[in-house]
Amino acid sequence: MIKAEHIYKNFGDIHVLKDVSMEVNKGEVVVIIGPSGSGKSTFLRCINLLEEPTKGQVQIDDQNLTELSPKQVVKVREKVGMVFQHFYLFPHKTVLENLIYAPMKVKGLSRDEAVARAKELLKKVGLFDKINQYPNKLSGGQQQRVAIARSLAMEPDYMLFDEPTSALDPEMVKEVLDVIQSLAESGMTMIIVTHEMGFAKMVADKVIFMDDGQILESNTPENFFNHPSTERAKDFLQKIL
Amino acid sequence: MNELITGFKQMAPSIPYIINGVWVSLGIALGASILGFIGGILLSLCKIGQVKILSGLAHVYTSIFRGTPLILQLAIAYFGIPQLFQMGDVNPLTCAIITFGLNSAAYMSEIIRSGINAVDKGQFEASKALGVSYWPTMKDIILPQAIKNILPAMMNEFITLTKDSAIVSTISVTDMMRRSQIVAANIFSYFPPMLVSLVMYYIIVMALTYLGNRLERRMRRSD
Ligand SMILES: Nc1ncnc2c1ncn2[C@@H]1O[C@H](COP(=O)(O)OP(=O)(O)OP(=O)(O)O)[C@@H](O)[C@H]1O
Ligand SMILES: [Mg+2]
Repeated sequence: MIKAEHIYKNFGDIHVLKDVSMEVNKGEVVVIIGPSGSGKSTFLRCINLLEEPTKGQVQIDDQNLTELSPKQVVKVREKVGMVFQHFYLFPHKTVLENLIYAPMKVKGLSRDEAVARAKELLKKVGLFDKINQYPNKLSGGQQQRVAIARSLAMEPDYMLFDEPTSALDPEMVKEVLDVIQSLAESGMTMIIVTHEMGFAKMVADKVIFMDDGQILESNTPENFFNHPSTERAKDFLQKIL
Repeated sequence: MNELITGFKQMAPSIPYIINGVWVSLGIALGASILGFIGGILLSLCKIGQVKILSGLAHVYTSIFRGTPLILQLAIAYFGIPQLFQMGDVNPLTCAIITFGLNSAAYMSEIIRSGINAVDKGQFEASKALGVSYWPTMKDIILPQAIKNILPAMMNEFITLTKDSAIVSTISVTDMMRRSQIVAANIFSYFPPMLVSLVMYYIIVMALTYLGNRLERRMRRSD
């Protein structure tokens, strides 16, 4: 379970998050949508404390992250995978090395164990044949699938996705969404920030609409997309659909 | 004119002696580079780190070594400090390597720092998000990328060191420069031995430049 309570985040004088609360239960898929600059990324980054909330609490399972020491926070991050808009694969490492680095370094897996796990995951995302390539030899879609596999190699309980397909050419969006969808079907608990409304409808158990640093709506996809209750959400949907 | 020809003739047997001095020069540059590289990494980590005292000290260190003449630093290290602490005679070569190393660390730290800053912040975040802590991230993810970016600048630093190493002749290290002076004093003719040194320095610097360019091209190909 992930629980965010009354999160505030300021960058100097800019108030990016203003009292954001949310709960994600085991196995749930929550999709966050909202206009650019509404604070979606910042909120996601507060959840694994890449960004420290100015105020408020983040709870993951039975741990209150905001009360933990920096060392303990690092430990909790093992449980929470994150996928970025721009992939951020390690360019000086091959696909395989990208996948085995953290499991060996952090979890203390032997090389053999880590490699076996990496191979399995690469098959899962359909990139086994790229195992010895360097990231810059892959297409954007392929890089993002490797990035997802790299996250999964840590066997996280939760996955955060920050606009995983926004940097991709249109023809590559589907291959990445398919991987995420199959993850959803396998029961992974996820928070996904995306502008892909069709995808949101399909995978979300809950849709959250953010605007100007606040959550304006939190509803089932059916209710949200068919009967948005705020003017802001109506506007947003009209523009994007 | 005749004098010059005689000079060259007199110098001829000493040419190998002068040329072999190049190993002393290159040895100093290499030793100093290794020290400078290690010192530079430590200093740059201090500078970008969160600990205010360390970053302050690292900046002061850099400022002093970059803000004073190397030849003076060398004189202080060889003549000044041993006298002050009554250390007796110190080995001039060791002294030169250490001084050049400390000096180079100051320049290198700025190069490495800019290299680290040029690595995409996302690399740090991706590693962090995987549960990797600061130091392993620095060592395995950030520094390898940073160093790859700054290889050309580090090659330049090595070339500078090779050329600047000529000033060790002032503390009686028999490098190429010093050997030319010795030969010149013996034959009472300055131009011929100095010309030999000049040509050698130039050949070495050109060779290093060529190597650096090849390395850079090789690196770019793997991008
Ligand atoms: N490190 C930072 N320093 C200062 N301002 C920041 C920082 N990070 C984000 N912001 C500001 O916070 C606001 C929200 O940013 P955020 O990236 O969370 O929005 P977003 O909803 O993810 O937008 P997008 O859809 O464009 O990704 C923006 O106005 C942004 O400029
Ligand atoms: Mg964003």
